[in-house]
Amino acid sequence: MTPSQTPQPSLQIDRYERGWMIAAIVLLATFALAVTVAGAAMGIQLPAPELRVNPQTVASEGPFAQPGVRELAPGRYEAYIMSQTWLFIPREIKIPKGSEITLYVTSKDVQHGFKLEGTNINMMVIPGQVSRLTFRAEKPGTYNFICHEYCGLGHAAMFGTLIVTE
Amino acid sequence: MAGPESHSEGEFHPRGTVAVLVIFAVTLAVLWGSIYLILVSQGATMP
Amino acid sequence: MTAITSTTAVPAAPVARPATYALSATEKRLVGLNVLVAVLALFIGSLFGPLQALEHARVDLYPLLQPLLKSYYQGLTLHGVLNALVWTTFFITGFFTLTIPFALRRPLAAPKLNWAGFIVQTLGLLTAAVPILLNQASVLYTFYPPLQAHFTFYVGLTLVVVGSWIQGYGFYITFYRWRKDNPGVRSPLMALGSVITMVLWQIATLGVAVEILTQLLPWSLGLLKGVDPQLNRTYFWFTGHPLVYFWLLPAYVSWYTMLPKQVDGKLFSDALARFAFWLFLFLSVPLGFHHQYVDPGVPPMWKYIHAILTYAVAFPSMLTAFTVIASLEVGGRARGGKGLFGWIPALPWRTPSVNHQLLAGILFFLGGIGGIVNASYNVNLVVHNTAWVPGHFHLTVASAVTLSFMGIAYWMVPHITGRTLWAPKLAVIQGWVWFVGMLIFATAQHRVGLLGAPRRTPLGQAPYVPASWQPWTFLTAIGGVILFVGVILFVVIILVTVLRKPAHPSQVPAIPEAEALQDPQLTPAWLDRWAPWLVATVALILIAYGPQLIYQIANMSNTSPGFNNIW
Ligand code: HEM
Ligand SMILES: [Cu+2]
Ligand SMILES: [Cu+2]
Repeated sequence: MTPSQTPQPSLQIDRYERGWMIAAIVLLATFALAVTVAGAAMGIQLPAPELRVNPQTVASEGPFAQPGVRELAPGRYEAYIMSQTWLFIPREIKIPKGSEITLYVTSKDVQHGFKLEGTNINMMVIPGQVSRLTFRAEKPGTYNFICHEYCGLGHAAMFGTLIVTE
Repeated sequence: MAGPESHSEGEFHPRGTVAVLVIFAVTLAVLWGSIYLILVSQGATMP
Repeated sequence: MTAITSTTAVPAAPVARPATYALSATEKRLVGLNVLVAVLALFIGSLFGPLQALEHARVDLYPLLQPLLKSYYQGLTLHGVLNALVWTTFFITGFFTLTIPFALRRPLAAPKLNWAGFIVQTLGLLTAAVPILLNQASVLYTFYPPLQAHFTFYVGLTLVVVGSWIQGYGFYITFYRWRKDNPGVRSPLMALGSVITMVLWQIATLGVAVEILTQLLPWSLGLLKGVDPQLNRTYFWFTGHPLVYFWLLPAYVSWYTMLPKQVDGKLFSDALARFAFWLFLFLSVPLGFHHQYVDPGVPPMWKYIHAILTYAVAFPSMLTAFTVIASLEVGGRARGGKGLFGWIPALPWRTPSVNHQLLAGILFFLGGIGGIVNASYNVNLVVHNTAWVPGHFHLTVASAVTLSFMGIAYWMVPHITGRTLWAPKLAVIQGWVWFVGMLIFATAQHRVGLLGAPRRTPLGQAPYVPASWQPWTFLTAIGGVILFVGVILFVVIILVTVLRKPAHPSQVPAIPEAEALQDPQLTPAWLDRWAPWLVATVALILIAYGPQLIYQIANMSNTSPGFNNIW
């Protein structure tokens, strides 16, 4: 008796269940489309490979040797931020309202996290890597950036502030 | 494809299941959409 | 052999299936020991839950625990390891020690192997427990380097995983022998689903195996000066995502193949149930980058590919929702339920096991929604590493899975010990306590996460907590304490049950086994064949992970020395 002697039963799907399967696929495809639009058309992107560094020397050579904010052009800033147990250097960043700032963050010791309140800036900070995202500061105010990855005993105290001035 | 297989129970239509899942799908769409709106309102990360 | 005509003829199974199978004494002992370790882990692990939740509301009980417990983080390591890794893994290996022989109607083919696996797993647990308890491994359950635990922590974890592999080999051999002896018979779904889960686990855990053996262990022994933290995250999440399906699929085994019987229903579609299990095997590994959306070292294109694959793996869960609910509807209607929703109250909510699994399903709806949010590529920026995430996985692993396992335990522990369940009414209440506690806890965690509260953080000590978070941290604490009551009630009910006098065999609960509406022999053969699915699984992993793995390994830079004195 070989299986080929018997006609194979075919897959039978209940009408209602088939309807649900189609609905589920449509729903999921809609989500996929929406996130694609947010990424491609609205510039809401994820961090991408930027630069590899050596965590043992990054504090003494290269752009992170002097962490801080630099003005590149009127309204264009960049900030190099060093994460270490258990603080960010610099702890405070000031920029005028309406300016665009690119954040470069790395760690010289363990993994950290970086989430800037009220924005989509949210990145892992991994020794050996540089995390980069950019945003435009529209509203004046004081915004915390908080370490959201466990990094040892002082983790809960690790944060800094971004001040957007008038 | 052969018509719906008849089983010993006779025809059973899972209408209640569909109703429950419609409620689920609507909740999913609304909650997902609300988080998506937060994302969009918080602006670009690579303008 | 009858040919299939257009409607009802069923090709007879060439080998008749015995009506039932009584587990042997040794099988029962194995189930029992696995579940015993699991329940102890849940008990100890959960002690820290309310401490964490209360801390967030600025009620700091940790000073009272000195010198037993050095810090919030040591407790959190115990909580994550014992609940997410130990409670689940041991319960699952125990549960499958029951489902596989029972569904196949034959004893374990190599019980010594299963014993060996259990012993290795337990030795591993004890080995890892020592450094954690000595505060030498407060690295949380993700053990991200360059936080460096004592090497015994990595050895212990490895043994737990290897032990579970060995128990798995015992299952594979049993299944294989059955397959040889029963050509042409559709494998029983209960056994198929269980074995697929173990195979998925085997493939998935290769990630952490490589991580520990090639990086963390040699490094913690001083043989390697440094490791590559980004590469280790990639290895970890190769395992870390399918891990959640390893937790979930045993619950699905129960929902598909047992629960329908417990509610007087039938499995609505045997074929689609199998299809869902195969899709989980096929899709659940190559998605790990959805945990690394905000990692700097992974190109966005690969993150995007994994996002799309994650949407794909949501599909079999959607399918499961339909099939399981329809099976429940069959039962509810058979029990006299009328109208669009009348079958729901007609279900046997007073049966603890049923009650728990229904509540698990409801919480899983919410957990699933959160999961789709997390998985949605850039939407992850809103929630990544915030308190939203613990909110999410307490609905999934700590509710959908944990409540289901508790529900299973409520018939399984009596079954293997020959007792009746103590205080079944209290057991039903216990499920509701968990349900209510979790609704409060999870709502609060999701909300405070959206406001920006980080996870893995004793917020009570944090200098940056604004007033707007405090209503939610307060509710986290309330929910956490209610949940704790739920755990204690569960452990007490199980303990008292085990310590009762043996009951008359006729009163001991039988193993629930649901029939399908349609004879499984009518399920197409391609839904009962391993080779094509295994080949497709490996192929997809190679396509969706291969290039990045090769790239990251080829560009490995082991420049991170260990940090082991900062907690
Ligand atoms: C008494 C019941 C429980 C309570 C009150 C509770 C509470 C908590 C809280 C407040 C956190 C967040 C800690 C933080 O991010 O700082 C947490 C984390 C966690 N919980 Fe629970 N939990 C309970 C039960 C469970 C169960 C049953 C499981 C799994 C089956 C579980 C798995 C986890 C995991 C994996 C984490 C994450 C640990 C980490 O981030 O490293 N919990 N729990
Ligand atoms: Cu930190
Ligand atoms: Cu995942």
